[in-house]
Amino acid sequence: MPTPVIMPKLEMSQETATVVGWLKAEGETVDKGEPLLTVETDKVTIDIESPAAGTLTGIRVQADDVVPVTQLIAQILQPGESLPSHPVSDEEVLPRGKQKATPVAQRIAAEHALSLDGIKGTGISGRITKADVEAVVSRVRATPAARRIARERGVKLEAIPGSGPLGRIQAADIPVGAGLANQNSRPHPGSSPESRGESDGDFEVVPLTGMRRTIAERMTRSAQTAPHITLTVEADMSAAQALRAELNARAKAVQVPRLSVTAILVKACAWALMRHRWVNASLHGDEIHLHRSANVGVAVALEEGLIVPVIHRAETLGLGEISARLSELAERALQGALGPADVSEGTFTLSNLGMYSIRQFTAILNPPQAAILAVGSIAKRQVVVERDAQDAVAIRPMMNMTLSADHRVLDGAVAARFLQDLVDVLEHPNLLLW
Amino acid sequence: MRELTYLEAVREALWQEMERDERVFIIGEDVGVYGGAFGVTRGMVDHFGPQRVIDTPISEYGIAGAITGAALTGMRPVGEIMFMDFTTLAMEQLVNQAAKMRFMFGGTIEVPFVLRCPAGSGTGAAAQHSQSLEAWFVHVPGLKVAMPSTPYDVKGLLLAAIRDPNPVIFVEHKLLYKSKGPAPEEPYTVPLGKAEVKRAGRDLTIVATSIMVVRALEAAAQLAGEGIEVEVVDPRTLKPLDTETIVASVSKTGRAMIVHEACKTGGYGAELAAVIAESEAFDYLDAPIVRLAGRDMPIPYNRTLEYHTVPQIEDIVGKAREIVQGRI
Repeated sequence: MPTPVIMPKLEMSQETATVVGWLKAEGETVDKGEPLLTVETDKVTIDIESPAAGTLTGIRVQADDVVPVTQLIAQILQPGESLPSHPVSDEEVLPRGKQKATPVAQRIAAEHALSLDGIKGTGISGRITKADVEAVVSRVRATPAARRIARERGVKLEAIPGSGPLGRIQAADIPVGAGLANQNSRPHPGSSPESRGESDGDFEVVPLTGMRRTIAERMTRSAQTAPHITLTVEADMSAAQALRAELNARAKAVQVPRLSVTAILVKACAWALMRHRWVNASLHGDEIHLHRSANVGVAVALEEGLIVPVIHRAETLGLGEISARLSELAERALQGALGPADVSEGTFTLSNLGMYSIRQFTAILNPPQAAILAVGSIAKRQVVVERDAQDAVAIRPMMNMTLSADHRVLDGAVAARFLQDLVDVLEHPNLLLW
Repeated sequence: MRELTYLEAVREALWQEMERDERVFIIGEDVGVYGGAFGVTRGMVDHFGPQRVIDTPISEYGIAGAITGAALTGMRPVGEIMFMDFTTLAMEQLVNQAAKMRFMFGGTIEVPFVLRCPAGSGTGAAAQHSQSLEAWFVHVPGLKVAMPSTPYDVKGLLLAAIRDPNPVIFVEHKLLYKSKGPAPEEPYTVPLGKAEVKRAGRDLTIVATSIMVVRALEAAAQLAGEGIEVEVVDPRTLKPLDTETIVASVSKTGRAMIVHEACKTGGYGAELAAVIAESEAFDYLDAPIVRLAGRDMPIPYNRTLEYHTVPQIEDIVGKAREIVQGRI
């Protein structure tokens, strides 16, 4: 009976070996123990000895072939023997255990208490290899929704602990802030791992990933696809400030949090949005959605970018509640602990740079929303007022606001009327009671 | 709006359509003098006469054959199978004849009949008088299947079904007959193939059929107290199915649960689950699609066992909670 020559397994974790070259030729007579060929693993180069004396026949692999271990590579014939006329398969020649799996594959499977039954082998004759088992072991369990969100944000699921059954990752497990800017996210094409984050001559290379990349993509798309119109107004904030001072003076006594200017702005915007539904709108393909409630997003600056938590149904909330939610959301935003519900379904965005003494600026629309309001600082300025039917110069706390609107959805006059009402309600905050 | 029972709504639809269209007639076992096993056709034979409210011998095959033949000649028959269980005896006429003819005659003929089938358990009527066999008919091209859950829907759908040029299997749940709800007096139709969102919610979509719509709504009301907002979608017609409404709802909530009374294995819920999984809603699923259905066994006579054989409100509440809390 012919003696099979198989590719030996030289190391515990070895799956394959590369043929360097044959030392004997087809048909040559060899002695038992005589070197037949040289192979190379990722660690060593070694000669394979003949398992028997006889004639080397049926060589099946050539130099540079990568051959799985235990595969038949040739046979040694005794005098008078010949190879069967039909091609020899491994099954006919090699002794076989019950399970068609490499020893490493079996070990890894055992370590993970994994049954080999369900695993599809990609090795020779369907043998289960190390890679097959590892693919199953490392498979991330995640719901389709979690996968979609991860895909959209460029977040790697492997790093996220799942809270569902069997550790399945659910949509809510993906933190909104965290992950967006982490280094595990998709590498920027062309940036090699070595150069990432390291100084490269006169400049530091920072890959465009995570939150930065999301902002880059969204803002580019918005700036390129939405025709922006911008309108600027100024509001006399005397009354709003007086209201704030009055409410805050009593805040402690009635145990409500102190009111921020942003809270008043959110409330005023919601009030005006309810009266101008075309500003409280969003564009989805061929449809304009006019939203029934004012979900006002407020941009929050983070170290790695910015995020826009949303005050939902702001028109139904009191100033105290808005203020409390704002500070709670901002705090969680800074901790990277916002959930999808906190940042979705916004219908309008407010961006306030007043605290940096910016007098006025224009914002890029937050798609698919039709409008965004950029708010500048409140500063005392000279204004002309009417006193006793006479023009007079007065000093008033003034605030500039610039609305950017999507001209596909609404026109200048619509935006102007909205701003008119917004100024009106800020200058006469009693109107909020309507 | 005026309120009436599901049973009265069925009768009113039949009555109004027979007044409107002389081609419409009723045929079935005990539908005439006795007024129907559940009293649906009570008084109708006195008003319309035995020519239009026809009592038959106990032969479901005969009823199905008669309505098929009458429909072919231009009538608009409404047959009744006293218990849906006995559609078994009418299958040849329904599946091989009525469902096929329009296609096999190249569209030159129509088979405009309605076959009303009281179905479902809960009455202590045991294994041969309690089944929900809608899935059999959904599987046959050429048949439409309606399964209304409210008095409003049953009246509107029955009128639409009678006026439809195709055979319609019309499944009424016995326990619903006494349920009350608003429905206008004047005739109106509810289109076949249009689902309805019976309750809006953001956390979970329950697609339920027939009496399970009522139980799902009650479950949703209880869950709302825990802060779980369930959306209840009633397909109303199983075939044709309004996939759009279901897919939109699941895409919104990210979770889907299907509730029906019929046995789970091979039931209509499997079809609904597959429709959802194959649709664009797939990418929004944040939990496995769950089916809550009748046990795979004949309905027992014992009332306690019967109760536990099909989904009840507390079963829906419990399962919905598990899904929403990410425990499934």
